Amino acid sequence: MAKGIFIIVEQRNLEIRKVSLELLGEGRKIADAAGEPLVAVILGQGIDGLAATVTAGGADKVILIDDAKLADYTTGAYTSVLNKLITKEQPQTVLMGNTAIGKDLAPRLAQRLGVGLASDCTGMEADASNFLIFKRPIYAGKAFEYVSSTVRPVMATIRPNTFKAADPNASRTAEIVKETADIDAADMRAILKEVAIAASKRPDLTEANIIVSGGRGMGGPENYVILEALADVVGAAVGASRAAVDAGWKEHKFQVGQTGKTVAPTLYIACGISGAIQHLAGMGSSKFIVAINKDPEANIFNVADYGIVGDLFEVVPVLTEEFKKLVNS
Amino acid sequence: MATRQVYWNIEGEHWLYLLFIFALIFFGYGVFKRVQLWKLGKPENRCENVWQGIKDIIVYGFGHKRILKDPYPGLMHFAIFWGFVFLAFATAIITLQADVGLQIFHGWLYLFIKLTANLFGLAALIGILVAAYRRYIQRPDRLDNLADDAITLILLFVILLTGFLIEGVRMAALSFTTTPDQWASWGFVGQWISIPLRSWLNEAQLLSLHRFLWWFHLVLAMFFIGYFSHSKLFHVLLGPANQFMRNRGPIGIPETIDFEDESIETFGKSQLREFSWKALFNTDACLRCGRCQDNCPAYLSGKHLSPKRIIQDMKVLMQETGAAVEAAKEMATSVHAAGHDGAESAETEEWTGRALIGEVIPEEDLWACTTCRSCEQQCPVFIEHVDKTIDMRRNLVLMETRFPSEAQLAFKNMENNGNPWGIGWSTRADFLTNLGVKTCEEDPGAEYLYWPGCSGAFDARNQKVSAALVKLLNAAGVRYAILGNEEKCCGDSARKLGNEYLFYSLASENIEVMKGHGVKKIITQCPHCYNLIKNEYPQFGGDFEVIHHTVFLLDLIKSGKLKLSHGAGKTVTYHDSCYLGRYNQIYEQPRELLKTVGLDIKEMAHTGEKSFCCGAGGGRMWLEEHEGQRINEMRTDEAIALKTDYVGTACPFCLTMIADGIGARGVGEQLKALDIAEILENAL
Repeated sequence: MAKGIFIIVEQRNLEIRKVSLELLGEGRKIADAAGEPLVAVILGQGIDGLAATVTAGGADKVILIDDAKLADYTTGAYTSVLNKLITKEQPQTVLMGNTAIGKDLAPRLAQRLGVGLASDCTGMEADASNFLIFKRPIYAGKAFEYVSSTVRPVMATIRPNTFKAADPNASRTAEIVKETADIDAADMRAILKEVAIAASKRPDLTEANIIVSGGRGMGGPENYVILEALADVVGAAVGASRAAVDAGWKEHKFQVGQTGKTVAPTLYIACGISGAIQHLAGMGSSKFIVAINKDPEANIFNVADYGIVGDLFEVVPVLTEEFKKLVNS
Repeated sequence: MATRQVYWNIEGEHWLYLLFIFALIFFGYGVFKRVQLWKLGKPENRCENVWQGIKDIIVYGFGHKRILKDPYPGLMHFAIFWGFVFLAFATAIITLQADVGLQIFHGWLYLFIKLTANLFGLAALIGILVAAYRRYIQRPDRLDNLADDAITLILLFVILLTGFLIEGVRMAALSFTTTPDQWASWGFVGQWISIPLRSWLNEAQLLSLHRFLWWFHLVLAMFFIGYFSHSKLFHVLLGPANQFMRNRGPIGIPETIDFEDESIETFGKSQLREFSWKALFNTDACLRCGRCQDNCPAYLSGKHLSPKRIIQDMKVLMQETGAAVEAAKEMATSVHAAGHDGAESAETEEWTGRALIGEVIPEEDLWACTTCRSCEQQCPVFIEHVDKTIDMRRNLVLMETRFPSEAQLAFKNMENNGNPWGIGWSTRADFLTNLGVKTCEEDPGAEYLYWPGCSGAFDARNQKVSAALVKLLNAAGVRYAILGNEEKCCGDSARKLGNEYLFYSLASENIEVMKGHGVKKIITQCPHCYNLIKNEYPQFGGDFEVIHHTVFLLDLIKSGKLKLSHGAGKTVTYHDSCYLGRYNQIYEQPRELLKTVGLDIKEMAHTGEKSFCCGAGGGRMWLEEHEGQRINEMRTDEAIALKTDYVGTACPFCLTMIADGIGARGVGEQLKALDIAEILENAL
């Protein structure tokens, strides 16, 4: 009999990603309702210390698979290890974040297990018989479909920022199980040799809850400091429109739009961005859009929830000050 | 009677026949070798219209129609070409007289030959000197120099020079006799040469010099014949042959793929031998003149792509493939001779040499092309570059799934929502229906289908163009309707990016829907939709009369249905859309429209047939431009330089790109980019 809700916890440099804690938070509720154990599965090297975090986050049981070969994510090794674990443990449900790793790992794992996969879900709920139903946006967010699987385990990847992480509860306890990894040489088809990280303490564009974005109205690369000041106050990522990237003010990895990143934060602050369709295609599904632009005719105001017609060099510093007061109070 | 003795002062001239036979053998061997290489390609019939072919040779070959569009090298080539035409004519007449025995080399024909050979021979001589000066001293970027170029120039120069010297020496020698050349002034170059020679040398010296020069000239001429088919000289025949076989239908239409045919194992082309023999023939017809490269927006903006290099690199690969096939055949024969069984046919050997895509042509080059077709438009011998690029893109997309990552999003959006931005399909009609435009369902009797395209339906900037067009159509009392939410992306970007499958599904759906509504005539405001529906939908049974809005509006004005006020004092430059101009020869109508509303037109540095792409064609609209300068900014700079009030466009992509360029240069206050429909709307 299949038992347990497995959350595949994603960690990077021994830091658990937010989406995994979000899944534990929501998973806790479903586990309670169904009377099933909530199991956090962590793969990596030297990960013992992470057990406490996931326990505080809501896990009843933590499975740690510690191996040098799992230190960095590789498709082959992670798939193989999880395949063996899930086949052995027979959980009811397997959930992971719809992150770069989740998108890579989940389909392959589902195929190995011979089960279905609901990918990129923005919601899930259990019906009367504790049967999980997942909500997926389709047609570029114009409609939702609700899907469930008849095969166990049910597998899904959940979009980051969908659920809220539970407040950590340090008094919780969990059973901690250490499994050994059994990795064949054949699984290690790719080896991570080097990670080149561009130094930035701000969140990833695609994961950020808030994005402050600047376009041609910024006038030059040096003026991004005022956006960065705002971003740092509210913990936002900084983005740019194609015009700003084309002008060489920002690197391409900061570009939001058709040919850059597609983002859907809770709050998108567009500064000096005219709102060309190429840009809207990349950020139109943000929950709230605030536009700051000198030109009242700018197309961005057609999609913005709040519009400020004015010089961004005056408006943004005022916003920064006001947010500072809010955050400090 | 005016004539001269052929073989004067020459003995043993019959040896020339032996030399001639050798020369012919070398010539024939060269032809044979090249034919073997062309036969590596697939069959294709390119000789359907013989009379039109001959006409093309006369116009583009003898007439130099395209060559002369670049005046400096054009005139240089014209001089060399016609020089050798007249010299070949002279040689032919002399051959008929001396070797066939027809007594024709006398009288007016003799004098005509003497005069034209001198006149045009001199022109050719000057042309060769100019060519050498241009190639080795000026060294324009578009020329690359091979040994063959130097050998050919020296060979032609020495043949011409010795020809004139022989004439001069003969005239000088004859002047010592009782029978001087009384027609010497007709051969004026020879006559000039004879004057100093007569005072420097005596008769005996002149006679032996004549004999030496005559034989030297003859040997060179025979070398010329033997070398001909092994060198660039071959273009004299291959160029006109390519003009004869040129594509005369609508331009740049990719082949269809039958997706129902389950026996097809590969899509697109990734191997040389998948191309037709004509494509391989093209590589030999190419003379590396570089007109294509000189007009390629990708090359000029600093990308690695050069259309010339693609053709030349394919030529090298053709030679490598030919050598490999040859070697495999020999191997098969020797294995067979040794009594082994089952020697594999060389034809089925797998190609193990350099890969066409990646090793011969870099993938980036394939993606850098904007399909503007300026390369093909400038090519004097009608080489077809763009369809080859699309064939290779197809292979990368349909077989390898290797394409710029940005294209993935556009593809996905076209698939899911029928537009490249992924905006909900069910909102496509909203903007126009809010303006009161009816759908085909609401007005089945509408005469015209108005096809706004994705930009006209969704993009806020281009919605203004749609609104302007709607106003103009209403003012003229045109009865039209839209497909509304039933319209989908026409599929041009998908097709030109190589995603034939996606294109096919979009196109067949659109055709079905339009047929269902009984659509006959279509007005488009996007040249990409225009070209695709007009010229490419017929491949799938979609035969509609398609009219671009600039052409339609001009007709409305001419027929008096649309009356516009005539302003004054404002200036405009018109940016030719590639898909309107080069693809469909619509150059004049948009300009006429601008004149009818009283605008003063100034032309940019690149205009008409040589117009410079905005950078968005061929699906490049949806891709990033990482290398070199931005094409749209280069084009916008040309417009800014004219200091006009407006840039007129007739294409939503061009409008977006030029407006972006204006934004990037920060000249939005001085220069406005407007679609012609918007300019006309202001004159309502």
